[in-house]
Amino acid sequence: MGITTKALLKSLWVFHLSTGSCNNCDIEVLDCLTPRFDIERFGMKLVGSIRHADVLLVTGSCNRKSAERLISLYKEAPQPCLVVAIGECSMSRGIFMPSYNCPRPLDSLVPVSAYIPGCPPKPEAIISGVVKLIQKIKGK
Amino acid sequence: MKRKQVLQDLTTRFKQDILEVFDKSKTRVYIEIRPEAIIPIARYIFKDLDARFNIASGIDTRKFIEILYHFTFEELALLISLRVKLDRAKPAIDSLTPVSEAFNWIEREMHELLGIQFKGHPGLKRLLLSDKWPKGVYPLRCDYKEWDKTAIRDRGVK
Repeated sequence: MGITTKALLKSLWVFHLSTGSCNNCDIEVLDCLTPRFDIERFGMKLVGSIRHADVLLVTGSCNRKSAERLISLYKEAPQPCLVVAIGECSMSRGIFMPSYNCPRPLDSLVPVSAYIPGCPPKPEAIISGVVKLIQKIKGK
Repeated sequence: MKRKQVLQDLTTRFKQDILEVFDKSKTRVYIEIRPEAIIPIARYIFKDLDARFNIASGIDTRKFIEILYHFTFEELALLISLRVKLDRAKPAIDSLTPVSEAFNWIEREMHELLGIQFKGHPGLKRLLLSDKWPKGVYPLRCDYKEWDKTAIRDRGVK
């Protein structure tokens, strides 16, 4: 494991992007930051700009307008940028799969490193997914 | 004014323009009107009777394109829905935006999603759909067909 990977895994900074979600996943993501679940003990915190982030956290079903913004955000992110899909909508678009405004799922737009299923996923599931993501990158 | 008076006032004042009054429940009345008369009736309800304009909803019912303008009378706990039926081939109606700015965005939304022409609207441009959406395709019409060849309509599980 090189020094960059080690530094990356020491403290993952997260940029949270909602591509048209119902806000339930967003609430669960914020719940992870509360003292009860305290995801900062893994060195994670939300940052305000994608240029500071290591992880792009995506919730929602990627509609036509937000998909363009998602791709431009992914291009702006410093590499390596890990993309984490949270919730059913960002994985398979959920009930919006036949919708006229959601033509493509997230993983056909940008490469996704981890999927966290659930509608919405519990904070425990998010933490477990994040730990698995760290293990996966360590294993590489 | 009481509920009964409001309804009586409307039906006598706009006798020729009201086609049907459907008194659904204590709190809900549907009034079907001729599309040509929308401006005077809506102006009277909105400005003179001081009702709140809640929202308008457009529906494609296969026979007609319907618009329901929902007005609420809060002190009477009454919701009056003005129903207009428009020709499906070329739906057009007078815009209510000159009456009040409250009608502006919902008319733009109905214009892009259902293809209703609002005559006299000051800026009938796109509100919600993406810029790449083709012209003349209205997603909330019954006969909407998928136009995007790149769309993926499965969940990636075979």
